[in-house]
Amino acid sequence: MITIFKNKQDIPENMEYVELNDLFFNQNTVSLIDKRAEMIIGTIDKVKLISKYKICSRFNDVALDIDRLSAGCKTVLNVLYYPDKVFCMKECGNNALEVLYGLEYGNVCSEYALIPFSMESVVVQTKDSKMRISDYEELKEWWDDEK
Amino acid sequence: MKSKPIVMDHFSTIHSSFIVNFTFKNNITILMGDSGTGKTAAFSFIRECMAVNSKILCLNYLDFQKDIKNIISNTEGKLIVIDNADILLDDATRKYISLDDRNQYLIIGRNPKNLFTTKENLFELISKNVGEQTEFTIKEYL
Repeated sequence: MITIFKNKQDIPENMEYVELNDLFFNQNTVSLIDKRAEMIIGTIDKVKLISKYKICSRFNDVALDIDRLSAGCKTVLNVLYYPDKVFCMKECGNNALEVLYGLEYGNVCSEYALIPFSMESVVVQTKDSKMRISDYEELKEWWDDEK
Repeated sequence: MKSKPIVMDHFSTIHSSFIVNFTFKNNITILMGDSGTGKTAAFSFIRECMAVNSKILCLNYLDFQKDIKNIISNTEGKLIVIDNADILLDDATRKYISLDDRNQYLIIGRNPKNLFTTKENLFELISKNVGEQTEFTIKEYL
């Protein structure tokens, strides 16, 4: 399950925080794309991966560079391929959040609550604590708590 | 917040097989919704128009290092289109935008914090196939 931080200051010093998911994906994650990305890209952006660097547009079937994926989809792929880093999740729409929350591992951060309508268990982490939450309301409460 | 658009009620452009046809009902339009619906594609088509339309100013993550509030406060009479707004706009800039009566805004993002908006400001992108073309419009977000 993924780990969520609500303050950048809570992120351990040995973990890099990435805010610009578009840029990070275009420069780094893109070279790691493999079969694991296919379902994620298809589910979130409803496009087909036709080669490592090409997708088929959902609008007109034109082949596009993979840099045209949505910021939400890029965020999920960044989290998947770089489990040692923490990624800003603010650009994820609900469809991307649903996939993100279903990942087996990964780290994300947002100062405000971003919870999909149907959620899986997550780990929430602050400087002082780390715990598992499986309930929407409980997670929202944790996020809204100033501590 | 309900206020009439002060720069333009309607914006349209064509980019190859894509048509953008946006009708604005408020001075601040927040374009939200699922990932991958074409919001950033529409942004890129509007940005293209900056070359010939002086009433448009577009900002996105490439402007991350810039002082957005300063840019906006030195701008007048434009439709300011902001993609990646959730990472680009800090609280001070959001408050400035909410009170700005010299410009109109199309904000692509999901966080309405400090923009003092209501549901009347929230819109989503709709895409429709028209022959071989794809038309983008906006409608109220439910």
